[in-house]
Amino acid sequence: MTGLVLVSVILISLELTTRLLGPVRSAIGTVVSPVQYVAETPYLLGGEVGEVVATRSLLLDQNKELERKVLELSKISMQYLNLLKENENLRELLGSQARLPDEVLIAELIGVVPAVNAHQVVIDKGADSGIVLGQAVIDSEGLFGQVAEVDRFTSRVLLITDKDHAVPVQINRNGVRSIAGGTGRIDRLELEYVPITADIVKGDLVETSGLGGRFPQGYPVGYVDTVVVDPTASFAEVSIRPTALLDRSRHVLVVFARAGEES
Amino acid sequence: MNPTQGGWLILVTLAFAMVLAIVHLPETWPQWLGWLRPEWVSLVVFFWVMELPHRLGLISAWVVGLVVDVLYADPLGLNGALLAAITFIAWRFYERLRMYSVFQQCGVVFALILGSEAVRMFVRDLASDRGWSWAILLPALVSMLVWPFVYMVLQRFRVQFRVE
Repeated sequence: MTGLVLVSVILISLELTTRLLGPVRSAIGTVVSPVQYVAETPYLLGGEVGEVVATRSLLLDQNKELERKVLELSKISMQYLNLLKENENLRELLGSQARLPDEVLIAELIGVVPAVNAHQVVIDKGADSGIVLGQAVIDSEGLFGQVAEVDRFTSRVLLITDKDHAVPVQINRNGVRSIAGGTGRIDRLELEYVPITADIVKGDLVETSGLGGRFPQGYPVGYVDTVVVDPTASFAEVSIRPTALLDRSRHVLVVFARAGEES
Repeated sequence: MNPTQGGWLILVTLAFAMVLAIVHLPETWPQWLGWLRPEWVSLVVFFWVMELPHRLGLISAWVVGLVVDVLYADPLGLNGALLAAITFIAWRFYERLRMYSVFQQCGVVFALILGSEAVRMFVRDLASDRGWSWAILLPALVSMLVWPFVYMVLQRFRVQFRVE
């Protein structure tokens, strides 16, 4: 008993301070991935049943919504090519490196980490699909999280709202830089160390700044929800509502930033 | 573990407990239901050690814990130590525990799970920023409430398949 506890304590301290045990974790994770798949079936079945018994009016509504979205997006994409070309030309003029579009890999959620205040999910792509530690994960609406553990067939993703997570960001309107930290609440991020004089107002779009090199630049993170400026405090309290559907998305994209991209 | 007489049943119940421990509920179900999650693996291990102390030892409980670590995304070794501790207590007092009524056993389960949750939260607090919260009481309470059912079902299986 004492021996086992000692071994455990040594293992735990190794895990807390180093990444030495990563391969061991991955090996065990690969062996138990069937458990994760089985545990996901109720959720998937729930989705299937929902699709089968969807009423006609619901489907019509969905259809209308999708058509509206397609129109909106095609309008934007028409302008996109034009803007892309213009952007390239301007960058050439400036003599800076051309930025390549990021490649993405579609992954499906196959599980959640079942601790009350942990915001982490498991996706169905792992080292076999070329995923490496630290890759950014996005969904259709914005930044979702980053890869925190890679097994052979699955990986674990830390959401941006987890208390352990932080991401370098900038305000889209004026380029004010900051860091958006998770709060442990699924609908809230907080900007850290914002001087009370910073030009941030409600409704500003917050996007990744690409500083630090972990997240590619320019993905939306959220909209500024409230700004509390207390003249006696050192920092302003800025809370952000994430754009990504953190508790609803079933499909996410893992971003492979191309080599040569500035970071 | 001696796999000759019904050892498979122990393995199957453990695997099933792991699935229940991380099961992802359908979207339409209320979200708080996911928080009321009993410590299934601890309950199953506790049952088998109490009933058959010679079948499930400290080492095997510890190895089961390694798997649980990966499923829960805890630091490796944490759940191993917790399950080994539960095994040790169940093994040390199994004669007394078997004489208890099921409600007294519920009390023991509450104490064991609360203790292991406290250690778990302490280690998570070292590892991350999440800190302490009242959520620590939930698994203990829920585990205590489901224990009579777990006991009944597992006991029936044990008798039916003559796992000795």
